[in-house]
Amino acid sequence: MASLQLKNVIKDFGSTRVIRGVDLEVKDGEFVVFVGPSGCGKSTLLRMICGLEDISSGDLVIDGARANDIRAADRGLAMVFQSYALYPHMTVYQNMAFGLENTGVAKDVIKTKVGAAAKLLRLDALLDRKPTQLSGGQRQRVAIGRSIVREPKIFLFDEPLSNLDAELRVSMRGEITGLHRRLGATMIYVTHDQVEAMTMADKIVVLRAGQIEQIGTPLDLYNRPDNKFVAGFIGSPQMNFVPVTTGVGDTIITEYGASFALKTERKLPSGTTLTFGVRPEHLTLAGRETSLALPITITGVEQLGGHSLIYGTLPNDGPRITAHVAGQVNTKIGESATVYAPPAACHLFESDDAAKAVR
Amino acid sequence: MKALAFLTRTRNGRSFDWTDWLSYAYLAMGLFLMFGPVLWLVLSSFKTEAALNEFPPSLFPYGQKSVSVPGEEKMKPVFRVTLPDGSTKELAELRRIGLTSTLVDPARPDDYVRVNVKDREPVREFKLATENYTDLSGKMSFGTYLWNSVFITVIATILTLLFNSMAAFALSKYKFSGRTAVFLLILGTLMVPPAIVLVPNFLVISEMGMLNSLWGVIWPAIATPTGVFLLRQYMLTIPDELLEAARMDHASEWQIYWRIVMPLAAPALAVLAIFSVMWRWNDFLWPLIVLSKNEKFTLQLALNAFQGDLVTQWNYLLAMTVITLLPITIVFAFLQKYITQGIASAGVK
Repeated sequence: MASLQLKNVIKDFGSTRVIRGVDLEVKDGEFVVFVGPSGCGKSTLLRMICGLEDISSGDLVIDGARANDIRAADRGLAMVFQSYALYPHMTVYQNMAFGLENTGVAKDVIKTKVGAAAKLLRLDALLDRKPTQLSGGQRQRVAIGRSIVREPKIFLFDEPLSNLDAELRVSMRGEITGLHRRLGATMIYVTHDQVEAMTMADKIVVLRAGQIEQIGTPLDLYNRPDNKFVAGFIGSPQMNFVPVTTGVGDTIITEYGASFALKTERKLPSGTTLTFGVRPEHLTLAGRETSLALPITITGVEQLGGHSLIYGTLPNDGPRITAHVAGQVNTKIGESATVYAPPAACHLFESDDAAKAVR
Repeated sequence: MKALAFLTRTRNGRSFDWTDWLSYAYLAMGLFLMFGPVLWLVLSSFKTEAALNEFPPSLFPYGQKSVSVPGEEKMKPVFRVTLPDGSTKELAELRRIGLTSTLVDPARPDDYVRVNVKDREPVREFKLATENYTDLSGKMSFGTYLWNSVFITVIATILTLLFNSMAAFALSKYKFSGRTAVFLLILGTLMVPPAIVLVPNFLVISEMGMLNSLWGVIWPAIATPTGVFLLRQYMLTIPDELLEAARMDHASEWQIYWRIVMPLAAPALAVLAIFSVMWRWNDFLWPLIVLSKNEKFTLQLALNAFQGDLVTQWNYLLAMTVITLLPITIVFAFLQKYITQGIASAGVK
């Protein structure tokens, strides 16, 4: 079990800089999730950690020792690939034993270790099968088993659940977090799915365009997003954004004239353009006077029984608004409605995606 | 029954349409054109020398019937004789002098009949001249030629697979500057006609002292651009993640090649193996140039040598040709599935 540090790590592919100075600390036993839109460099960062990609500059430190120049195999890490990368011509047992055979471990030791891992992952009955004879979930477990037998310092997962169907994904999510608890191992997990990130992580690292946007616990990111990008990325459905300007005192004015008292962390001159954000699940159909009232024209309603999703637009073809309200509603498309945003749940961002949140 | 149903399938599944007749006629013609000569070769290889020289030729191997006559050492040929009284009888000919033939009934060896040669006709029967095959080993050192051919084919094929797959592995799975250039260079050699490199190749082999050695046939044949191309194209389809996983599993580059890439490239290797066997087995020109001693001849060279300047013993030559064809036919019959796959995937002849 081990800790890991990245110090100003940079990766260039030719003249393109894909990782632009990443600083990160992963503590022993932590489950860290890298999340971000596709092309943000999260997989590249993971491959740099495991040694499959060179590090252009900066330091990779594993257990206090610089590991930049150590071969992938000798870093003591194990990787679970997106495609599982099981050797198709070998049985499950051979797949799991391959790494140990290469390091010259005695046959009976291999047998014990593979047996133990197979038992842990309920693969005992499948040891003689070839990967093609396994279901997606089983292949996934073999790929994880192959990592476990090597007893790595850190487990690395590269979007391991993206090839599974929705139902299996949920159950495998539970299995991986269960495994993390049982092994107490340090794990780094890459995904583009923010639900996976929220449900599994001790710590989420949100990446965009090769840079870290925010690091924090899942609820930190949800409750106090550092900027508009993180606010939009974490949470489903996405947070509603409305352009506003600051008025005199602690008021903000929406484009269509409604004004609303909201304290900001820093004092801003009146007339500053900002983005107001509120999560769909915080909007209500009946509000108090202190809430910001948003008059919308309903464009869609999704009744899910336990809760309902109401879609609408603000006047003058304004921004789209989504409201997630409890229970069942009695609204129809084309009707007008007012949704209320309580002040405690409101966010204010500078209009630039990456700039620090104002509230 | 199934085969019959298969062979009489029709377009609409019921009666024969005119398009069915056309299709079957076309297929029958194709079968005749492709298979007719081979069939004739095989049937002719069972004919005696006399039957081969007959005119008009017959398709099946017929020979004159012969019987043993008491009191005579040799078998005697049987004729159908028209006797002076107008009846016909099958009799064995003892001798023929001028236009008079002396015949006898084997059951009554003392009753001679003398007739004009015009009044008798040979009795023919279906007869396989298997001695064409059984005599071969005595006629020449057939075993040596066979061994030479097998040795060249097997060793050259193994080495071809090994060397071509290593080149293909490097060209498909490693990134290095000049990779494309090297690959194009290898492909470019496809455009050089073999006749042009014949003399340079000969000089090299000669300088290395490999004339009249089977290795002189094997070495120049090993590096084939076709093989490298075919294997490289196939290896490109093996996901890089497998190699990375193996690298994480402490596998050396050799182990990755030998234990991961080679087993996964098996279908392409099978195709190349088939090609290589056919090439080496049927190779004629290069062995002819390198091998000049009789005991180093391959089967193909022996076949050529057997065709003398003045006399050719066609019955033996045909039998030998059939034997030479057999290995390739067997390889083809069992592995034709891979051949079609390989041709489809690599687009080579």
